[in-house]
Amino acid sequence: MKKLYFIFFIAIICSCKDQKSANHALKAEGKKVNIENAEGFSIEKFEGYSILKVKTPWPEAEKPLTYLLADENAEIPENIEYDEKIQVPVESIVVTSTTHIPALEALNEESSLVGFPGLNYVSSTKTRKLISEGKIAELGQNENLNTEVLINTNPDLVVGFAINGANKALVTVKKTGIPVIYNGDWTEQSPLGKAEWIKFFGALFGKEKKAAEIFNTIKKDYLKAREVAATSTNRPTVITGSMFKDQWYMPYGNSWQAQFFKDANANYLYSETKGNGSLSLSFESVLNKAEDADFWISSGQFTSYEQLLDQSPHYQQFKAVRDKNVYSVSLSKGETGGILFYELGPQRPDLVLKDLISIFHPKLLENYEPVFYKPLQ
Amino acid sequence: MLNQRKYILALIFLFIAVVFTALFNISLGSVSIPLKEVIASLLGMHVEKDTWRYIILNYRLPKAMTAVITGSGLAVSGLLMQTLFRNPLAGPYVLGLSSGASLGVALVFMGASVFGASFAAIFLSSWSLVIASSLGSLLVLFAVILASVRLRDTMAILIIGLMFASLTAAIVSVLAYFSPASNLQQYVFWSYGSLGNLGWSEVGILSIFWLAGILISIGSIKNLNSLLLGEQYARSLGTNIRKNRFLIIIATSLLAGSITAFAGPIAFIGLAVPHLIRQVIPSSNHITLVPAVIFGGAILMLLCDTVAQLPGSEVSLPINAITSIIGAPVVIWLLVRKRRFNF
Repeated sequence: MKKLYFIFFIAIICSCKDQKSANHALKAEGKKVNIENAEGFSIEKFEGYSILKVKTPWPEAEKPLTYLLADENAEIPENIEYDEKIQVPVESIVVTSTTHIPALEALNEESSLVGFPGLNYVSSTKTRKLISEGKIAELGQNENLNTEVLINTNPDLVVGFAINGANKALVTVKKTGIPVIYNGDWTEQSPLGKAEWIKFFGALFGKEKKAAEIFNTIKKDYLKAREVAATSTNRPTVITGSMFKDQWYMPYGNSWQAQFFKDANANYLYSETKGNGSLSLSFESVLNKAEDADFWISSGQFTSYEQLLDQSPHYQQFKAVRDKNVYSVSLSKGETGGILFYELGPQRPDLVLKDLISIFHPKLLENYEPVFYKPLQ
Repeated sequence: MLNQRKYILALIFLFIAVVFTALFNISLGSVSIPLKEVIASLLGMHVEKDTWRYIILNYRLPKAMTAVITGSGLAVSGLLMQTLFRNPLAGPYVLGLSSGASLGVALVFMGASVFGASFAAIFLSSWSLVIASSLGSLLVLFAVILASVRLRDTMAILIIGLMFASLTAAIVSVLAYFSPASNLQQYVFWSYGSLGNLGWSEVGILSIFWLAGILISIGSIKNLNSLLLGEQYARSLGTNIRKNRFLIIIATSLLAGSITAFAGPIAFIGLAVPHLIRQVIPSSNHITLVPAVIFGGAILMLLCDTVAQLPGSEVSLPINAITSIIGAPVVIWLLVRKRRFNF
């Protein structure tokens, strides 16, 4: 038995050693870019090039994706392994999620955008203007990109995302020689982590410094708002999500949305739950637990109390509905009907948090005009 | 004569079972409510917590009513179709009604991505699904009736129903192909069926259609019995085959169409309950079969809903998953045990 233990011990030692030596193969002279909150990517800068690693391009991804961002005429050491090489700074780009648009705008790069799937979902004004001028091509939809149109726009780079594994259409694009990289901002769980993905775009456009400045400002404002919220002695109870048929879909307590409630100093009634996706609860259990909740931050499509009660008269049983304390993101829409929150919210957690603080603790942020969350009419 | 008495006893037993399963269904759910309080709520007496009373009277009671209506309605339509087509595989949806409904609903959920955003605006009304689903079913119904007037052979209607199902499924798949995930999800969830989102007004409307369908079915009992002997024989008995066929199709459409509009395409019950009942009550006389199937459908649906609610847990399951999970093994077990297939 002792022998066995010994062999086992030796085996463990050896396996650790193996991993170490593998890491040594990379040239160890890079400078790690400071990433404070995001878990999903890292950037390491070398002379004339940098290595961008996307750790979780999609949930349960088996291995990280490595991208080589090289300056023109840069000398690249031969032993570097990468999934895709991109010449930076990128001059024309295709992105596939509305969450990528605010980062482009913040970096003043919206004019680099040459194509997007589902133009109607875009709400940001600068980009909308370019769309109405016909400068951005419609590429269909993310799961079903119009490959021909995409190839025709001939971008330097396509920034895609995938729900699970590589997106078929993007694989086709890659074969034509247009580099494709995957952005994993949506797998990020923390509010500041999502916002930090602006550094990912900063690296592509050679605007690392600007991206860092933008992020630092957002972070500073976010933390300041959190401190302000913490001064309130009152901690209102809150629920979110909405019902479809008789099932109430409610984000888990470890989700991105739930963290905002915590930081806004509110008591989210489902904060103890853990998981991916969202809870699907029976109506009666939500009523039993949350009929007296002070606020309901809804994700439903309704914009007025009339519509809400038309969807389900059961909603009348909730105190938040009776006291007219229901707030929704569905009232802030872009001119073509896209909901602003889904586009700008991940990039501007400071605004999301201030919105919520102004709702939960109106005295703390006087004269603040909410950006995303508006009271139902 | 001896058999008659047995059958009447069986029917009485089934009816009592409906009442008990209904009580059982109402007293169980995600929230644990003591039986005493359940009965107090139903009798309008004082209840400890107002929420409890609300849950019982405005959520569980309409849900139980919906379960009774859908279970019995679908079971009867299944029986009508099996007899009309003399085919043990027929169910309430063989005419293509649910396919028509699914097309209407798919247009509501996913039409926006193909026809522009004005489509999405309709979706905000709670009645939009019911109306879309009914229109879809009606469209298919008219087509089937047109065909049935022209056709001598009943079997051809079966094929036409199948063709409609394929057609609509194809259109739905095109819509789905162009839809964002969230809309697709809503459509998929609709297809799982749901008993719990009907208020009293909807239950009222649904029960009017149900009553009409059930009454026509009861009125057709004599004709159904003559159909069992084959169309030629039925004709020689003086049955008007076309009129008869028309009435049976109308009854089925009223039942299956309205149920699909309000509760979605509830699976399995319509096909299985007539077989379950035939195995338990070996009669081919529709005078016994029709009421027995009505009670049997109600009992099975109530039981399925009780299980789907997963009493005591906050989560609940879609009803369509449960109907087959519970129903299929029972049918298999009965057939294997009896070794004889009554049809």
